[in-house]
Amino acid sequence: MAVVPPPASRPGSSRKAQYGLFFGLIATIAGVLVGLVLLGLSLVAPQRYAALRGAALDLTAPISGSLRAVTTTIDGVANGTADYWDAARQNGELKRVNALLAQRIIQARAVQLENAQLKATLQLRERSTEPVATGRVVSSSFESVRRFAVLSVGSGDGVAIGMPVRAATGLIGRIVETGRFASRILLITDRANIVPAKLLRGGLPVLATGRGDGSLDVRPLEVGRNPFKVGDLLVTSGTGGLYPPLIPVARIVRLDDDGAVAVPLADPADASFAIVERPFEPLAEQAPAPPPPPPSPPKKLPTKAPA
Amino acid sequence: MVRSALQQRAGTINRGPRRAALYLPAASVVAGSALALLPIIADAGWAPDLGLLTLIAWRLLRADAWPAWWAAPLGLANDLLVGSPLGQSVALWSFVMLSLDLADRRTLWRDYWIEWLLAAMLLLASEAFEWRVAAWGGASVPGNAILPPLIISIIAFPLVAGIVGALDRWRLGR
Repeated sequence: MAVVPPPASRPGSSRKAQYGLFFGLIATIAGVLVGLVLLGLSLVAPQRYAALRGAALDLTAPISGSLRAVTTTIDGVANGTADYWDAARQNGELKRVNALLAQRIIQARAVQLENAQLKATLQLRERSTEPVATGRVVSSSFESVRRFAVLSVGSGDGVAIGMPVRAATGLIGRIVETGRFASRILLITDRANIVPAKLLRGGLPVLATGRGDGSLDVRPLEVGRNPFKVGDLLVTSGTGGLYPPLIPVARIVRLDDDGAVAVPLADPADASFAIVERPFEPLAEQAPAPPPPPPSPPKKLPTKAPA
Repeated sequence: MVRSALQQRAGTINRGPRRAALYLPAASVVAGSALALLPIIADAGWAPDLGLLTLIAWRLLRADAWPAWWAAPLGLANDLLVGSPLGQSVALWSFVMLSLDLADRRTLWRDYWIEWLLAAMLLLASEAFEWRVAAWGGASVPGNAILPPLIISIIAFPLVAGIVGALDRWRLGR
């Protein structure tokens, strides 16, 4: 137990020291106020400090990127060793899966051919789904309740705010900040990210909202009986014009009273590459990150037919 | 105690403070903020705010580690490194310095447990503030989501305080 010495508040008779302390106090109070004003401005108009934050991203993302390369290598070596260890059993299993997939491919080709013929008769135009850029997820906001991640491509590669980001296995999120060489993604698991989706089984429109803990809250747009089953898959519906339709989103793992909890199919930690695509409809590209329709009015949204 | 103080320790003669000892505390806070750049891709935000923890640990160790108003630029650096809304840490960290100045005036004596309690209260206030800011930013996370990072921060505080104490001894050449 130590007695706290008093000098911090009473610096003796020196005027200079007294003034110094006083101005220090005023400056700290000013710091609180300036911080609150800055915070208010950055909440009301998030694009105001875009240049500053973009520059900070450009400075810091290469550090995360190089560290990420190191961890990926270590991970790869560990996994690779494990694969050699287990090679014989894996080989047998892969042969079996390969034979199965060969059959499936033939079936899929037939369906594809049929689909092309049907589309030709309907004269549907294929939308080009050429990716804008491909990058790596290098870090995430593991200190915050918000779910953001940093991607290793930026406006120099053509990435712009509002563009959807996906991995091979499913949707990851959308771009909310860009630097020249890096950008920040709002993950679909963030509370502020609402993905218009539909059930792959039956095509029922639903809204998937992040829960902030790596899972999603899924609600049907129509009130009524809980339509979900554990194991159901969700894909994007294309409603709202931001996310292109038919990107896998999540799998239902648990039901609750009027909805369900789902886990994203794409894990940004595992995805080797993240693909930045154009917003589904050009209109969505002009408005910065258009918010999808709020879930409160339980009426059916006009769903667009997926291309 | 007296005996050990009288004892001549090896290698302490002619050893004063290190160069840049004045700036080392602030630099260590920025380094703590920069730990957010580690390539950890987490599903949930479970980790403590390491910059803030370092700041509180230094301030509880020494009232004069840096002038109190440095908290504002340090907070700005933290916001840019961590990616939180600009101004959040500027306001919060300045507030931490003010409230610890106030605590210095009000407490007559200090021990380890009181410092831990003070740190825990400040960490609770900071997590609650960040939770509010997230809600204003459109992400109204349920309140119990801040419990895991809060508990981890409070448990991590003695560790950070220990590191900061070692850094302090090193920078002063003791």
